[in-house]
Amino acid sequence: MNQSELAVVGAHGTVMEASPFGIEKKKLGMWIFIISDACTFGSFLFAYGYMRVGAPVWGAPFELSSIVNGIVMTAVLLSSSLTMLTAVRAAQTGAKASANRWLGATMLLGAIFAALHLREWIKLIGEGWRLFSNPTGGATQFGACFFSITGLHLTHVVTGVIALAFIARGYNQGRYDESHVETAGLYWHFVDLVWMFVFPLMYLMNAK
Amino acid sequence: MSSNRELSTSSYVGIGVGLMAIVGIEVILTYQHLPVQTLLVCLLCLACLEAFVAVMYLMHVKYEQPLLFWTVFPATLFVLGFLCYVFPDAFRMFSMRLAQ
Repeated sequence: MNQSELAVVGAHGTVMEASPFGIEKKKLGMWIFIISDACTFGSFLFAYGYMRVGAPVWGAPFELSSIVNGIVMTAVLLSSSLTMLTAVRAAQTGAKASANRWLGATMLLGAIFAALHLREWIKLIGEGWRLFSNPTGGATQFGACFFSITGLHLTHVVTGVIALAFIARGYNQGRYDESHVETAGLYWHFVDLVWMFVFPLMYLMNAK
Repeated sequence: MSSNRELSTSSYVGIGVGLMAIVGIEVILTYQHLPVQTLLVCLLCLACLEAFVAVMYLMHVKYEQPLLFWTVFPATLFVLGFLCYVFPDAFRMFSMRLAQ
């Protein structure tokens, strides 16, 4: 879409100024959301980083099996980004059925990621890790950091899966167009991007 | 918008494989038993590299107008950098005591 196509005709026929960034307003809105969310995750991760380095004794709960689980989760989320890209591309070419299939694949991979994550949580809780307790006797902040940061990310994943379901349904019914799929894709890639920081900092930094 | 200049599907798969390779490097570094500070810096640098690739290619910023990039990213990086810079001040709390 070029600049002139982006110019909006107002209610009285006045041509309004085109978007300065050459993108649609919903996509610009998503970028603003992403920036604010990046700052939220950034503040959480900085706080964790300082505590992790500052604590003299820090429990390291993750065995190799948990790290392997984390690698699989990373691969699943990265694959979901690729399926999302394919869905956006299919939507842009007007291939509705293909776009819906790839959106379905993205949602499935998102659900698998959430299930793997919950399995890890259940395992940790079974070992005695809680928000404010450390069964190894180290710093109690690990539980608070891990469950809050990964919980926030998991909330984003689950919200993304639900949002994609709504977008896919609306796109299928003709209520939404390819720009909605593209904007949802932007959010999904951001969720993937955040995991690229959460996995090394929360899992790898706490490997036994 | 971006569509006409986008990469091919095989290029995207290559980017995905490249990102997984960086994750592999992170895992190898983890088991080198480096000091915590060194490991944190190494992992953060690699994560930033991954994030840059994801933003440019998966989120298509490379194919948007440069104005979007120059408006969004320097400001965001400044905020995050400043947050990192002022955060140690929070540790003053531990040495502060209320007046008797």
